[in-house]
Amino acid sequence: MRTRAAKLAPLGFLAPNLLGFLVFTAWPVVYSLIASFSNWNLQKTVSSRFVGVQNYAEIFGDSKFWLSFVNTAYLMLGIPVSIALSLWVAILLNRKMPGNATLKALLFLPSVTSGVAIMILWKALYNPDFGPINSAIEGIFHWFGLNTHGPQWLLSTQNPLSLDVEKVGLAHKQFGVGARDALNIMGIWGAIGGTNMLLYLAGLTNVPEELLEAAQLDGAGKMALFWRITWPQLAPTTFFIVIMSIIGGLQGGFETAKVMTNGGPAGTTTTMAFYIYKKAFEEYRIGYASAVSWILFAFVLGFTLLNWKFGNRGENLA
Amino acid sequence: MKPRSFDRFKTLGFVYLILGLFAITTIAPFLWMFFASFKSLPDVDKSSLLPPTWHAKNYAEVFHQIPFGMYYLNSFLVSAWVTFLTVLTSAMAAFAFARMHWKGRDAVFMMYLATMMIPGVVTMIPNYAIVVRLHLLDSYTGLIVPAAFSAFGTFLLRQFMIGIPKALDEAAFLDGAGPWTVFWDVIMPISKPGLAALAILTFLGNYGSFYWPMISIKTDSLRTLPIGMMYFDSNYGRATNLIMAAGMMSLIPPLLLFMIGQKQLLRGIQMGAVKG
Amino acid sequence: MLGALLLLSVVAWYFQPPTTVAGKTILIRVSDNNPLRQAQVDLFNKLNPTLQMELDPSDNGVDKVIVQSMGGVGPDLFDSFSPLQLSAYVQSDIAMDMTHELKKRGIDITKDCFKGMMSTCIYQGRVYGVPTNIAADGIWFHRDLLRAAGIPDHKGPWTWAEFIPIAQKLTKRDANGKPLCYGFYFDWWNFPHFLKGFGAHIYSPDGTKCVLDSPESIAAVQLMHDLVYKYKVSSSPVEEASMSTAGGFGSGSVSVFAEKHAATALGGRWWLAQLRDYKGLETGVMESPYGTVRDFHAYGRCTLVNKEGHNIQDAIKGLLYMAGPEYNNLVNDQADGICAFIKYTKSKQFLFNPKYPKETDNAIWLDIAAHSSGDETSPFISGQVVNDMITEQLDLVKADQKSPLDAMHDVAAEVNQQIQKNLQEDPALMDKYKAATRP
Repeated sequence: MRTRAAKLAPLGFLAPNLLGFLVFTAWPVVYSLIASFSNWNLQKTVSSRFVGVQNYAEIFGDSKFWLSFVNTAYLMLGIPVSIALSLWVAILLNRKMPGNATLKALLFLPSVTSGVAIMILWKALYNPDFGPINSAIEGIFHWFGLNTHGPQWLLSTQNPLSLDVEKVGLAHKQFGVGARDALNIMGIWGAIGGTNMLLYLAGLTNVPEELLEAAQLDGAGKMALFWRITWPQLAPTTFFIVIMSIIGGLQGGFETAKVMTNGGPAGTTTTMAFYIYKKAFEEYRIGYASAVSWILFAFVLGFTLLNWKFGNRGENLA
Repeated sequence: MKPRSFDRFKTLGFVYLILGLFAITTIAPFLWMFFASFKSLPDVDKSSLLPPTWHAKNYAEVFHQIPFGMYYLNSFLVSAWVTFLTVLTSAMAAFAFARMHWKGRDAVFMMYLATMMIPGVVTMIPNYAIVVRLHLLDSYTGLIVPAAFSAFGTFLLRQFMIGIPKALDEAAFLDGAGPWTVFWDVIMPISKPGLAALAILTFLGNYGSFYWPMISIKTDSLRTLPIGMMYFDSNYGRATNLIMAAGMMSLIPPLLLFMIGQKQLLRGIQMGAVKG
Repeated sequence: MLGALLLLSVVAWYFQPPTTVAGKTILIRVSDNNPLRQAQVDLFNKLNPTLQMELDPSDNGVDKVIVQSMGGVGPDLFDSFSPLQLSAYVQSDIAMDMTHELKKRGIDITKDCFKGMMSTCIYQGRVYGVPTNIAADGIWFHRDLLRAAGIPDHKGPWTWAEFIPIAQKLTKRDANGKPLCYGFYFDWWNFPHFLKGFGAHIYSPDGTKCVLDSPESIAAVQLMHDLVYKYKVSSSPVEEASMSTAGGFGSGSVSVFAEKHAATALGGRWWLAQLRDYKGLETGVMESPYGTVRDFHAYGRCTLVNKEGHNIQDAIKGLLYMAGPEYNNLVNDQADGICAFIKYTKSKQFLFNPKYPKETDNAIWLDIAAHSSGDETSPFISGQVVNDMITEQLDLVKADQKSPLDAMHDVAAEVNQQIQKNLQEDPALMDKYKAATRP
């Protein structure tokens, strides 16, 4: 028999967070939903009014938006790689060994190092003429008797998928390696020892040692141990990391684009987040920027629900 | 069959090799930063890693040019409060989402998730208006309170608490413990790794937070480090050496917190708790 | 834990200075925060004992002031960095019309200031603030490098035809063709400098149409392209990549020049603020070559007053300070560009500053500023949007992926298409457009 008090208990636990959440997070979000149906543009000359789904209709014909969508999607290609590597590093670190704490701290360093320092170093690494990356690539080519130049990295609009620059589509001359690949590599490097590694380390503490030992006695190999025991135990953590990475990825590229490339060359690193910023604070079209944000929301929600459905077997997660 | 200790030795060697190689790349920017903080400004542009002459006075210069100590205290204070409040309120909410059954639970949780999917740029104006309305602007509270109720933290801890075996709190409930006892004495101790991870991430995120403090703080003595350090990076050039000196000093608290927190992130740390 | 936090909070509160200084009124000014700006504010506070101007740093964008003003707590004064920003502040009804207030106090911006700054503080005939400095670019050069190359001292401007062979002579590359020193270094965001030199315009005079596909603009962009790819005296983006590690807005080129990776470079007087830190440089300045019109690109800041400010009378005192001798002499001294008020550039102190005896080129800077004009704007499209469109196309030209002809045709078409779209959305704008295009 559940008493009235027991029924109210969940509310008690939820209340402190929920209250702040409603005021500081939920309300502004609702506000932006309302704004997305208006032509609010910060200008006093145009009175704000509701325009129905006009903003949403406009998005479908907005080629710049779709270009930024392609850029964003492209820049998210690094996410699975970085998640996998973070998990691998976390598993390697998840053992008692001398220097464990030091190694963790060293791998975590990019998360606390000055962004300017990291940027300066990567820019130097990517230098097409003098950078060590191209020296190595050209050296290897040279070994095979080829006198080719390395890629132009941050300065190039090229990409291995041959995505075109000024319209959504493919173009032969865009085949190569360019700024977006450079940012992807940099992103993976910075992320390996960062948030995801921490979360996996925390998640790994939930894997019961008894289970591992029992399976080991049964003669299970290392890979079998991982897939049979560790991976299922990490499912909630992986779910979190995947969702947050998708959210982060779709909303990301803002800081990097502003600092490293300013969205260029030729707009190829302009992500959706940067595009929304430009719409809001360069064109002052808050209404339109809100509509774009809600389209973004629809994408993320779609991904999340898919994950929820397929990554969520058993009562463990729901 | 080889002896087990040799196998272990081989595995460890492999681990050290891989992680060591990777650590070399992660420490490189840090070393660059360290040496740049001792260079004169023209030397920063030169390609040598080590400073041709050591300028330790860069560090004094940082304090001389801006009230660095005040900014330091502000950043630390704000981040510490946000971390404390976030971890506490998120843990409580996560407990309600992960270990309790109630009607509409998943719908409310989905709402939490959904709000994270809207980019901050478009919620900035209403958010700012609320803070103005609550008279929290240009104050410590205005920096702390809006950041202290995190959907991110709730989600993170919910996922962590879901992984904890059900038998534990069921046993405690059967013993007649109230929900608070189960939360505080059973679930919280086991959740230490999750709490530690959240604390590190929250602290770090707020410590480096730029946009909100830039827009909402007017008074000089309330500025945080990222805002204060804009002084060294303007239209008239970037005092990269001073930025690095200030950066070296400012990374101490998050790094210390990481060193303390990471102890919780080790296998076997909670076996005692589960068994006991 | 909680105890420690509380203790720390008490400590922090203890260290907070009192928010109001007895008998002082606080004036908040949003601007960029740097040593030069701080000194300018300090001087104001010294001259006005009852006022306390405080800098509230922004990152040069308009978002800070706009978000604050939407919340009803905007600053008293704020700086606008371009005509594009001014139009944003006026259209969102934040900037206060200062036409009468300034006239009443004997300040006539149109007569007192360089004409290059007009568009930065005047919008559709109304004056909104006081220009706080001006910059227009000339050519910086290293005297020693020119001497070493056997190039005689030259005071007057060269034409491009004369200058390019000289720049080629100054360009040094190693055996593999990798650059050691550029003959002439310029930033691509400085494209208005080249446009103006060819008499090219962004918009038609009534602002209804983008005319970047004119032969003049194509010639200007062609020259930028050729300096890199035909004459090879300037850096291609590849070469530019990490010439300099420092940076900040446009100041990357200052260090490229200061490190002698470039014998000459296009830049303003404000470079001195950094160049003075380098020891042993022998630098000089001359006017930049131009295509067909002796017109240079002026840029600078302008301080505006918040319409909703709580203390407009004191804010006006801030404006008056920036129109007065103390401030303008300080700007000249600091080399925060040149002061915008012409009469304060006439002093001997400015032309030959005893503090900086080596800086003998201030008369040249004045001449350049006198022949400068500001950014164009159109009431029918956001200047920032046009700027982004131009930058995107120039990126392709800069990387030698698109011809200047195609790029300029495409950008004009794109801008005109956007103008038409804006008209569809805003009936008031459409009326204005119809009035402007009526024969």
